Amino acid sequence: MFGKKSPSPWKVLIASSHPLFAEGLRSLLHKRQETEVEVVGLVSTINEALLALNSLQPDLIIVDYDDEHLNRDEFLAHFVEGRGQLRVVLLSLGERGEEAIVYDRRTMAAAQIDDWLEKWIETENSITPPNEVFSNVGKENGNSMRRNNIRHYIAAGLLVIFLTVAGFFGLSRVNLLPVEASVQAESIDGLFAFHFRAIAFLFALIVGIMLYSIIVFRRKPGDTTDGPHVTGNTPLEVMWTVLPLATVLFVSYMGANVLGETLRADPHPLVIKVIGSQWSWRFEYPDLQISSTELIMPVNKQALLRTTSLDVIHSFWVPEFRIKQDALPGGDEMIREVRITPKQIGEYKVRCAELCGRGHADMRANVKVLSSTDYDAWVASQTAALSNDPVVRGDKWSQQYGCRACHSIDGSAGVGPTWKGVFGHEVTLSDGSKVLADHDYLFESIRDPGAKIVEGFQNVMPPNIAADMTDQQVEDVIAFIESLK
Amino acid sequence: MKFFSFSLVRGLIGQAIGVVIGIGLAMVIRLLMGLPAWKAEPVWVVGALFGVVGFVYSTGVLNDWIKWAKGQETPPAHSDYEPPIGLQQIFNVSYDHKVIGVQYGITSLLMFAIAGLFALTFRTELASPGIQFLVPDVFNSFISLHGIVMIYAILLGVGAMSNYLVPLLIGANDMAFPRLNALAYWINVPAGVLLLSTLVFGGIDAGWTGYPPLSANLNKMGFAMFFLGVYTFGLSSILGSLNVIATTVRLRAPGMNLFRMPIFVWTAFSTALIGLTATQLIGLSFQLVLFERLFGMGFFDPTKGGNVILFQHLFWFYSHPAVYVFILTGLGVISELLPVFVRKPLFGYRWVAMSSLGIALVGFFVWAHHMFTSGMASYLRVPFMYSTLLVAVPTGVKFFSWVATMWGGKMTFQTPMLFVLGAISIFLLGGLSGPPNGTVATDLHLHDTYWIVGHFHATMFGGFVFPFIAAIYYWFPKITGRMYNESLGKLHFYLMLPAFYLQSLSQMDAGLLGMRRRIADYDPALGVTTQQLLITIAGFVIAISVLIFFINLTVSVRKGAVAPANPWNSRSLEFQLPTPIPAHNYGRPIEVVGEPYDYGLEGSVYTRPSSTVEPAAAD
Repeated sequence: MFGKKSPSPWKVLIASSHPLFAEGLRSLLHKRQETEVEVVGLVSTINEALLALNSLQPDLIIVDYDDEHLNRDEFLAHFVEGRGQLRVVLLSLGERGEEAIVYDRRTMAAAQIDDWLEKWIETENSITPPNEVFSNVGKENGNSMRRNNIRHYIAAGLLVIFLTVAGFFGLSRVNLLPVEASVQAESIDGLFAFHFRAIAFLFALIVGIMLYSIIVFRRKPGDTTDGPHVTGNTPLEVMWTVLPLATVLFVSYMGANVLGETLRADPHPLVIKVIGSQWSWRFEYPDLQISSTELIMPVNKQALLRTTSLDVIHSFWVPEFRIKQDALPGGDEMIREVRITPKQIGEYKVRCAELCGRGHADMRANVKVLSSTDYDAWVASQTAALSNDPVVRGDKWSQQYGCRACHSIDGSAGVGPTWKGVFGHEVTLSDGSKVLADHDYLFESIRDPGAKIVEGFQNVMPPNIAADMTDQQVEDVIAFIESLK
Repeated sequence: MKFFSFSLVRGLIGQAIGVVIGIGLAMVIRLLMGLPAWKAEPVWVVGALFGVVGFVYSTGVLNDWIKWAKGQETPPAHSDYEPPIGLQQIFNVSYDHKVIGVQYGITSLLMFAIAGLFALTFRTELASPGIQFLVPDVFNSFISLHGIVMIYAILLGVGAMSNYLVPLLIGANDMAFPRLNALAYWINVPAGVLLLSTLVFGGIDAGWTGYPPLSANLNKMGFAMFFLGVYTFGLSSILGSLNVIATTVRLRAPGMNLFRMPIFVWTAFSTALIGLTATQLIGLSFQLVLFERLFGMGFFDPTKGGNVILFQHLFWFYSHPAVYVFILTGLGVISELLPVFVRKPLFGYRWVAMSSLGIALVGFFVWAHHMFTSGMASYLRVPFMYSTLLVAVPTGVKFFSWVATMWGGKMTFQTPMLFVLGAISIFLLGGLSGPPNGTVATDLHLHDTYWIVGHFHATMFGGFVFPFIAAIYYWFPKITGRMYNESLGKLHFYLMLPAFYLQSLSQMDAGLLGMRRRIADYDPALGVTTQQLLITIAGFVIAISVLIFFINLTVSVRKGAVAPANPWNSRSLEFQLPTPIPAHNYGRPIEVVGEPYDYGLEGSVYTRPSSTVEPAAAD
């Protein structure tokens, strides 16, 4: 825009091979626009103009339209296609020497100029540029527009601030996350708090300005004109590229730091192996020779969880601990470690977070965070001598190895057949044959689940689920099944 | 009989015949190999492949090429097109890009409706805790189908817009390869049949992502059909992208240099670059799983030395950039429509244009952010966090430019504009909910939760669905020659926007509280029961609004008021053409002499009849 904020005068380059035209125009301009325009150079060929363009950095080029030595098409081809703020004006002196026709490159393409000039000559308009180029009216408009603009900026800014404050207030009133039950959750929640505020502010910023525009900058009824011709603002565009870039680098840096916090290792953690299988969890404490279907953890002691899977991908997640880790099949090589230091005594749940088949939704396990005395008591109870009764032992094994995630003991339906009343009865297999559910049948079904499938059920029991069980343990489980009349 | 003369009908019959031939052939080969003739999955897979070929052959879309191969002459590609576009053209092979665009569009809307019905079904199940009527197997299949059919619908929508618009916007008479264009559309139809056939082949209950080992282990033939279906429409994407790139590079009108192209062309071009170079990877990853199933190969099978993580890398190398295929197209529509309804030039045109390429480029380096908890090499997580968050920069450029475009304008609020504004606000919600997932530490909590569900539904709705709807309303008068019903359009908007916010925010809230993705039932103890009910209610409100949309379209096609040639007073090229647009869009060569979005500059001209070809004929 011509009357724009720059206080320095506009630099004008005049292109004409007629010294009279050039010098005359220069002195005219000097007389009329002394403070606003400075003629920085006179050129007579395109090559000179190109050179001057680099050395003098003019804002405007005035081309003598009537000059036959000057190829104006070539000229326009260079500058109409040119980049940025540079503007070209074609000046044509009319027959009587008192008319000037001005062509502004933004108005139309070079190819259209002849038509346009004819039109202007026909209507005998003199020195009336199609735009506000040298017009004082335009300048005044500019001033009042600027005042208006400042009012708009303030109002929209207030709206954005109001929305941001409202957003922050809202955030402070709601609990978006579950209980914070681990040390690792603390730093993660700190990062969450930052994210939530950033979201609230940025949403308020964009939506606030949008809402303001929707309310204020709407077309009045009956108005058929267009809005102002504003095509961009390079400093502004650079700013809104660079600022976000700096912000995301900062956020990434922060994210990496918090990730580092969650990985901070205690030299003597409690090692627990987490084994997922369709659709149950099992937890082994290798140092204590304990295997459990519940995850029992002492409070304020870092646990090193080593996750693995017997079949498909599962994902270990306790929302209250905030940390998630997929449990991968593939043996020791695919064991993945995650560290959790529970800090709040209570009961939580492991929830499988990777779709793992039919029973995925129900693939949960209890998590109990105990005081260290309670934990010691639990360890003692687990490591105490085993019962002499095989039925009691079988009950224990069947829970420990996750059998009862799919097989009920009360006759209710599950993923697998119920155990209640199955022993010593005939069952119908999927191929229609019948078989007596005796000791040998049950033993085979545990060791090789796919061998015989009961009618109405599918072969979904992981073939290696009982791989860790000793034969004695399997016998105990069968004894337990036998006891369920 | 006329019914059997439709390409679509002949294609479907051809597909059935192809399936039979393929099955027979597979059985013969198995016998020759000394195997029992019948084994369901391999035999059906060969049948399905032949079915696709049978479909394409029977539609006649290959006819010209077959004739060329025989050394025969064929008429020029556009000679089959007679405006306006009617059912006769939609159900038959046409080489005209406008017809193909409409074919894509209608197929897309149909697929959206089907995918939406899957969603309504399982949302009803999830309205309250406990298993009501969907057993988990079926539930899992439905969520998978909802996902993949939606993706298919969106890709068709992308095809609809780029095919219809790119040639018109750059002043070309058609796409660069009209016959390839028709093939790229028609190959989608058997792909859709394959996808939906998974329902009768046992379903695909492993999620649309189909991670092995689950997808390789489950004894359900649906997976084979699913993989083949994706493979087939992936081929369509690649061919379509090739065409868009060739068209943009070669067929621009004289004077339309790169920085005079409408923004939509920039985004379509960026999109096509992704489609051409990344789609192979999803085809490959699914093909490897298919080979695991058919031939017992062990790429991803740990018991055979395979690695389950490898699949995820291959899969996301496409499937993440694919997201940008969807949204870039949508963002292009926003940038295209906004100046028309604000009556101001697009603010910072060049930065917006370059930001599309920027998003497309950065999009290739962020795939592993889907895998922060997957157990991939731990040291990859931080670099991928940096690259992921970088996406915010070019995306931010777009938002700021849109807002600056609105500032000081003279806005009007017809239905397309409402959807554009809705799209910006929803895409903003989607975009802003991204950084918490992109930051590793917070993603450890958010991964595979309803937060993610909320996040990507917001990006898909804001980045594609709303702009697509805006585009349909906006170009409807040009396509059909009739106006849609404005009141119904506004009703559609005012139902859909708040319902979507309710849905998305409830999803995010539930996810933070511990609601996992893809579960058939949830624990009332999580405290998300209310949110789940709200999501379901919002889903049904969205469905009602879409029904209103469909009614509006179908009634207006026949009974709407006759549309003027340029109802929006747009500067864009296609609105300078008569309605309906004639066969060779720009019969008289045109020349681009100005900027596309110079609203508010009196006397500014964008194009005019070409002076180089017909110098004397200037007005």
